[in-house]
Amino acid sequence: MNQFEGNIVQIHSCGQLSIVTVELLDRNKVQSIIIDTSDTAPYLVLDTPVFVLFKETEVAISPEENPKISLQNRFRGKITAIEKGELLVRLSIETAAGNLVSMISKTALTDLDLFINDWVTALVKLNEITLSPK
Amino acid sequence: MIDLRLRKVLESDNTKMVLDLNLQFKKGQFITLYGESGSGKTSTLRLISGLMKPDSGHLSIGQQCWFDEDKKINLAPSKRKIGFVFQDYALFPNMTVKENLFFALSDKTDQGTIEELVQMMDLGDLQNRKPESLSGGQKQRVALARALVGKPEILLLDEPLSALDYKMRYKLQKYILKIHQRYKLTTILVSHDIGEIIKLSDLVFELENGKIARQGSPAELFGLGSTSAKFQFTGEIIQIESEDVLVIVTLLVGNDLVKVVCDKEEAKQFYLGDKVLVGSKAFNPIIKKI
Repeated sequence: MNQFEGNIVQIHSCGQLSIVTVELLDRNKVQSIIIDTSDTAPYLVLDTPVFVLFKETEVAISPEENPKISLQNRFRGKITAIEKGELLVRLSIETAAGNLVSMISKTALTDLDLFINDWVTALVKLNEITLSPK
Repeated sequence: MIDLRLRKVLESDNTKMVLDLNLQFKKGQFITLYGESGSGKTSTLRLISGLMKPDSGHLSIGQQCWFDEDKKINLAPSKRKIGFVFQDYALFPNMTVKENLFFALSDKTDQGTIEELVQMMDLGDLQNRKPESLSGGQKQRVALARALVGKPEILLLDEPLSALDYKMRYKLQKYILKIHQRYKLTTILVSHDIGEIIKLSDLVFELENGKIARQGSPAELFGLGSTSAKFQFTGEIIQIESEDVLVIVTLLVGNDLVKVVCDKEEAKQFYLGDKVLVGSKAFNPIIKKI
């Protein structure tokens, strides 16, 4: 599980749903859609410190800095390690907010022609981010 | 059922605190008392053990009344079926491991109990050694075994693992869980270690200034209960397998087997038998009519 620390800077609620924006320690912003509002989850208050959590297997990778794609949670970083399995590859990526891990298929690694020290953008969908109050 | 309604005014260095407890839980449960230093956790254990006399109230274990102010019942500590383990081991330094255990045995002809405990706690190779030659973890294993010699119904553990390093703590947690289950004990643990609490306990009482501030399952108090994950369960790890570059963890959730993929770095903290919380966002699971 990837985990970063940040503070809630925006809460946009509609019915039972909210899109919560969390500013990480490096000022990068991450958004999460959750089935909670300030009424149902007491931690949903501006400036509350929270952890954002997401699975390694949910992290997409693009070599482009600003790829045109709907995934808006983005972490720019450098590949520090590549571990190849038979089917999958485990990438360790150093970002300004901290290290993260991404699992992609081996064919994707080959197609993208990625190597250690390459800069990549790690992308995570809105609905893959879990929030956990500190 | 354990019914504990006790009150005691505690005074130390000009400060006065009223310990006012009202807890009920089932026999056989693993209970943890959690809270800041000075919130009354250790005093609660002392009240249960009879080492400290309550000012008023009632304490019964099943049908047996241990304390009742109105009925003037106050069972002596030696009559209460209790095992007590402290952080500092409290072993007799001049006795070997076996002698320490034997000392706690009321029926000196009952060697079987000691032999079983020696085996259970893996003390075979240590039984003729004196405490000074043992590591902290080994001493605490002896202290746990000694607490069980008297066949207690209730095991009181006052931060038993807090002086040990992480690895040793982990090992001892497994022993504690093993004896809790094997001897069908009601165990009451005082601990600050949330990982430990989640791993071991069924029910947690959080004390604040002598009173119960919150109570609930570890999941409710500390766990994913407070995250935004809506699809979540508690389970037990029954298999951990490395596949390709990741790890597949098999969990028993209720009667169902569930598999969860995790990163190998994350998997290092997991062992078979661990109680875990597994959660996912409500957006991920598919749903289909059957």
